[in-house]
Amino acid sequence: MSTAARRTSPLQGVVQLTRLVARLDRVRILCWVAGITALLIVSTESIKGLYRTPVEYLQYSQLVRGNTALIVQAGPGYGLDNPTLGSVVMNEAGIWTIIAVAVMSVFMVVRHTRAEEESERAELIRSAPVGRHAQLAAALLGTLAANLAITVCIVVSFAATGLPLDGSVAFATAVFFAGAVFAAIAAVTAQVASGARAATALGMGAIAIAFVLRAIGDVGDGQLSWFSPIGWAQAIRAFADERWWVLVMPISAGCAGVALALILQMRRDLGAGLISQRPGRAEALPGFSNPVALAGHLHRPTIIGWTVALALFGFFYGIVADQAESILEGNPEMVDYLSVLGTGSLTDAFLATSMLLMGLLATAYAVSAVLRLRTEEIALRADVILATPTSRRTWMGSHLLAAAGGTVVAMTIAGVAVGAGFASVTGEFGQIPRMLAAALAMVPAVLVVAGFTSALYGLAPKWSLLAWGFFVFVVVVGLLQPILHLPQLVLDLSPFQHVPALPADRFQLTPIVLLLVAAAALGGVGVAAFRRRDVG
Amino acid sequence: MLNAISIHQLEKSFGSTRALNGLDLEVAAGEVHGFLGPNGSGKTVTIRVLLGMLRADSGQIRLLDGDPWRDAVSLHRRLAYVPGDVNLWPNLSGGEIIDLLARLRGRVDRRKRDNLIDRLSLDPRKKSRTYSKGNRQKVALVAALASDAELFVLDEPTSGLDPLMESVFQECILEVAAEGRTVLLSSHILDEVERLCDRVTIIRQGRAVQHGTLAELRHLTRTSITVATDTPLTGLQQLAGVHELRIETGSVHFDVDAGALDAAIRHVSSFGIRSLVSRPPTLEELFLRHYGDDLSPVDEPASSSTSP
Repeated sequence: MSTAARRTSPLQGVVQLTRLVARLDRVRILCWVAGITALLIVSTESIKGLYRTPVEYLQYSQLVRGNTALIVQAGPGYGLDNPTLGSVVMNEAGIWTIIAVAVMSVFMVVRHTRAEEESERAELIRSAPVGRHAQLAAALLGTLAANLAITVCIVVSFAATGLPLDGSVAFATAVFFAGAVFAAIAAVTAQVASGARAATALGMGAIAIAFVLRAIGDVGDGQLSWFSPIGWAQAIRAFADERWWVLVMPISAGCAGVALALILQMRRDLGAGLISQRPGRAEALPGFSNPVALAGHLHRPTIIGWTVALALFGFFYGIVADQAESILEGNPEMVDYLSVLGTGSLTDAFLATSMLLMGLLATAYAVSAVLRLRTEEIALRADVILATPTSRRTWMGSHLLAAAGGTVVAMTIAGVAVGAGFASVTGEFGQIPRMLAAALAMVPAVLVVAGFTSALYGLAPKWSLLAWGFFVFVVVVGLLQPILHLPQLVLDLSPFQHVPALPADRFQLTPIVLLLVAAAALGGVGVAAFRRRDVG
Repeated sequence: MLNAISIHQLEKSFGSTRALNGLDLEVAAGEVHGFLGPNGSGKTVTIRVLLGMLRADSGQIRLLDGDPWRDAVSLHRRLAYVPGDVNLWPNLSGGEIIDLLARLRGRVDRRKRDNLIDRLSLDPRKKSRTYSKGNRQKVALVAALASDAELFVLDEPTSGLDPLMESVFQECILEVAAEGRTVLLSSHILDEVERLCDRVTIIRQGRAVQHGTLAELRHLTRTSITVATDTPLTGLQQLAGVHELRIETGSVHFDVDAGALDAAIRHVSSFGIRSLVSRPPTLEELFLRHYGDDLSPVDEPASSSTSP
């Protein structure tokens, strides 16, 4: 046999490709690791501040354990019958850590598999002497490395805050394997889906299903939680008599997922999913004739996704709001926390916080929608439109309009959903307009962040992604300001500080108008700067 | 209007990188003008300046008697552009994109559109996610050629097309040219440029090194000759203008300067020619002559009579 006929290993080149993945994602990985570690440190420290005595811990656990809504949100609360700092931290921040790592893993695997194929860089790599499975394996290994970095940081930061080592390692390990399972799931969706966006969406859907399965299980007899990777990660019972054998579940599921992905990969062509692409229209619809129509088409799936998510959140908060008073009675610190936000009843204060949360979620949408400008520019699709008689103002305006329109749609539905959820428990349908008004009052603040993103895009396109930094700032100020004691000057930089906290506060027109003016001015700065600079 | 495009001393830098360094380019109205140069020589930057995507640092640029930066929108009504690297929206079908671009330009000629889709054998129903590079290029070509633009700016428009489609493309351009419309064609495909272009401009390192008709440029170059003679061929080395002489069993290869061709053939024929193959200089050789050995830019126009 000649050497040419010698079969190369399907993993040929995996080491170099894994290094490439790590190189390409080093900043992203750093952000995720820092973000998740910071989340855990801040929650641990704030819990230390809120609950100081064993009696206070017991009050916390009594409050939490009987409350369905909180179990849905947080988990079964292992160890809360004898609560310690560790078990309370797990109940407060554990599930969010697991979800964050899952989201990171799905994004990362899809980015280095299907998204690469769509960019056709994969063809370049496949044409090199690289094994059939090397690229998928490199994406998975790179993701596991990122997970491992998070695991190490969790152990170190927990140890630094004085939490027991056993529990810290147990939680960190569970988080690692939860990330690994979702990486494996994403490896499968990357083979199945028709494109990268769809693969990511399917992966996110898997996270949502895992969340719901364990929510139903945790509220009920716990059976369904055993079908959820998030449930497995909690079932290790970190800081509460650890059960290490539980790791068998994610390890076997992860291996099965990877095996399935490898088999599926052998059955499909590069760039094509197993779900075939439906043919599109041979001709465009009559109305599809201007940049706004194109922007509408491009942003629609994202708007629908965020709207559905906000509607679900809103409905949930609406249902829980009625119980807010009974939940909060035993927790004066929490009452203090909420009363910072308004002067009305506890229920209204709770609702105002929910509105703020949804406003912050809508801000994530708005920032990503404005950043779509940069994506279109880098991919040279902006050129295609700008080479037609479409002005730069119109092109940029069409995407800004989609960002603003999507925000209004999502917040409208969210407000109605809160009202509907509240009414479904209390029968007070008259609350729906009030909730709608409260949700819409958030819109100007969201638009200010969107406007900031637009200005950044116009003035310093290469630094557009820094808009996420402002988003994180706004979130931190919005959610943690009672704990952080930042100077007022810094707090005032967040537009959400100036929104009347409806329905707890009185409505004020002036700040709303001023925020709208600021948003429009920032948007205008962005467009003006974009008209003066090079494209691409 | 004499010139559709006229550029004088165009300069453009990106940070410390000089992309265009005093570029001159003149494209007469109604001609097909080839725009040639190696990768990274500044062709795409020039085209993006012409489209108003990039702002020139200095120099005079007139495009259809307008300023490509200031009058971008009104000028774009009169031109059509095909990028070299066509990126489309993955979720839209080719047909939808063609229609959208046509409507953005204002007028839609349905008959022309359907005819072009047919000739280029493009499936307009497929989502552009599933198109190959060549098919994405076809989408951009149909959108451009179906328009009634006065000026076509084509940046390596056939780099993804197969030879059959390439010849369809060439037919389309010849039709456009017959209608008196102007084409600026940046290309690497020599056969394409030789067949289509009235005049060419060759650029290197951000400035034009040659411009003129193909005949004028060929005048500067050598002809490749392969000859077999009855008696062994001698004495060629002594002739002026003969290069790259290789003597093999049965045949002799050499290149000869245009000015020395007559003398060389007379010399060869005295040995009794059994067979002779002469190949005109290809653009590739024009390229090599200017980017290979001789790296100093040639500033005078090619029509001057100085021999290289």
